[in-house]
Amino acid sequence: MSSDPSAASTAPAAGRPKYKRKLSNYLLDKKLQLRYVLLVTILSGLIAGALGYMIYQQKRAAFESLERDMAELTQGTTNPGAFDDTLESLESEDRALVYKMVGVGVGLVVILSLYLLVMTHKVAGPLYKVSMYFDKMAVGKLGKVTPLRQGDMLQDFYASFHEMHDAVRARAQAEVDTLDGALVKLREAKNQADYRGEAQSKLDDALDNLEKHVAQRKQHLA
Amino acid sequence: MSAAKPYKRSWKNLLINKKYQLRFTLFMVGISTLLMLGLGWWVMRVANETTMVAVGSVWGTRCPEVPAMLDVPEQTLPPAEPPAVPMQLDEPGKPAPPPPPPAEPASDEASAAAGSADEPAADAPPRRATITMGDSSLTLVKTVKKMPPDFGVKIVAYWTCKLRQAGKLEALEHGRLRILWVLIGTGLVLVLGLALYGLKMTHKVAGPLFKVSLYFAKMRDGRFDKVWNLRKGDQLVDFYEHFKTAHAGVVTMQKDDLARIAEVIAAAEAAGLGEHPSIVALRELQLKKENAIE
Repeated sequence: MSSDPSAASTAPAAGRPKYKRKLSNYLLDKKLQLRYVLLVTILSGLIAGALGYMIYQQKRAAFESLERDMAELTQGTTNPGAFDDTLESLESEDRALVYKMVGVGVGLVVILSLYLLVMTHKVAGPLYKVSMYFDKMAVGKLGKVTPLRQGDMLQDFYASFHEMHDAVRARAQAEVDTLDGALVKLREAKNQADYRGEAQSKLDDALDNLEKHVAQRKQHLA
Repeated sequence: MSAAKPYKRSWKNLLINKKYQLRFTLFMVGISTLLMLGLGWWVMRVANETTMVAVGSVWGTRCPEVPAMLDVPEQTLPPAEPPAVPMQLDEPGKPAPPPPPPAEPASDEASAAAGSADEPAADAPPRRATITMGDSSLTLVKTVKKMPPDFGVKIVAYWTCKLRQAGKLEALEHGRLRILWVLIGTGLVLVLGLALYGLKMTHKVAGPLFKVSLYFAKMRDGRFDKVWNLRKGDQLVDFYEHFKTAHAGVVTMQKDDLARIAEVIAAAEAAGLGEHPSIVALRELQLKKENAIE
């Protein structure tokens, strides 16, 4: 989960172009996605393989039984070529069945893998996006949160994140307003009282520091 | 939460994010069920064909024919008793008992001995019913049914073959049914096993998400408690680490605010502005923030 956060996030809902998923971005959380994709694909491959083997075995048994019977029937006949032709046709039918089964199996695995990749991406995508916001929050940035893409899963989880982020942001905004107000009023009070000496310089330094701090907060909230 | 006592997963809590967990589990179960049904149907179709071919092969195996009874003129009927038929069937690994010697045709002496006072003498010509109709005549010869010499052996061979055929047919049908039951059993076990495994697997993703959601609720209410580690075996470890850094970032933000506020309050108090309404407001904010990160 790393790279440009803006790649997975979306612009404000109104008037923004519809986000287009990129093929290269489909594997966002390898561990999570590949685990599920491999599990389902291998399981399906095993079921298809085992049942395909059973089908082949049954076909082979029928073929061998027919071969035996035909050998008995055509014993001593003057036209063994007909028997050979029939056997060859049965054998080619067997081969065709094997190719068909292998083709269906490979097709199943490929289609299933791709579908599962898309399906797990719809879980990994929101997690990736939330992770990007987490990284921003870690450095104190509390910008606006944009909604998920259409079709994404974990909507409930994202909604609770959105709610939390908005609450933290609103509180931070209120606190910045409080600090800003206090800063203005304390400067006014300091100027009216006309303090001097060490106490004033300490208060000046503290208010300067608070001002810088508030400015930084405002910047992070933008 | 005690560090010494590890968290124990409970089956009751297995389904904590129904939408996500059921979607992935049902997809997995659905794919497996479809595969089992589709390929199982194919297997059964081929198994039925194979059984049919094998049944045809069994029926096509020729059994020794039952010999027809011979029509023998009455006077040649042998008086001797029919030969004993061995009733012991072939056993695998044992050679078949030798067939009894064919019955000897009745000898002249035996025929003579068998004669009675009512019957004509042995050397007398046989009596014939003769009907004369004009120029032609028809002689009626009384015949009796006689067993051919190896009749018993052939009957035994015939029924042995028939019983073998019946046994083979039964074995084929059993084989066909066994495939069906194995498919049904495997399918059921697979579906149930996958459903449980799927729920457990998705729970390892839904669990951390649920835990993070609980922290979200606390953060929304302005409480930034300590963040605990995930349970052993949980997934989304990287994601959780991102959350922990975010949480720590917010806590740091609160601490930075507190440091600045404390500095201003201290300086204001030193300058005699301790009771200024702004300082009172800052003290309230300070208290709130201190409570939030406790």
